[in-house]
Amino acid sequence: MDFSSMASQAGGSNPKMPTEKFMDHFKSQMEQAYAQKFIELGGKCFDKCVTKPGSSLGGSESSCVSRCVDRYIEATGIVGRALFKANQ
Amino acid sequence: MDPSSLDTAELQRFLSQEKERAMMNEMVAKLTSVCWDKCITSTLGSKFSSGESACLSNCGQRYLDLSLIIMKRIQSMQ
Repeated sequence: MDFSSMASQAGGSNPKMPTEKFMDHFKSQMEQAYAQKFIELGGKCFDKCVTKPGSSLGGSESSCVSRCVDRYIEATGIVGRALFKANQ
Repeated sequence: MDPSSLDTAELQRFLSQEKERAMMNEMVAKLTSVCWDKCITSTLGSKFSSGESACLSNCGQRYLDLSLIIMKRIQSMQ
């Protein structure tokens, strides 16, 4: 991840943006990039829930995907906490 | 934006913190993907079984143990 160019872009066309505004912009760009990562979990949930693709997503497949997204977010929390707890 | 306006100490500190945060998030994301494959092998319920959540937690901790072993091994080879 090229931080310098992300940082320049966060400033936009304003040559000397106030620090706080820049920091807010940058943080929200980082949050968007992080949210994008979660779209990857679509792959995991597809594997788990759509075993025989039909002509549309059935009711049980949809509810499976809902559960899967919730579980995956939960798993991220569990793994994250395990990593940081052990560091203390 | 003029990149030289990024030169203040405050901004450098901020960017360095954000970079570290991003690297940690990246690591958690990768590890979650690996641990999910290892631990969530049966059909998904509305919550994890105690075995599944223990597995996920263990997975994270064992990965740390592994990283430490690898680091020590590499150091001993230098």
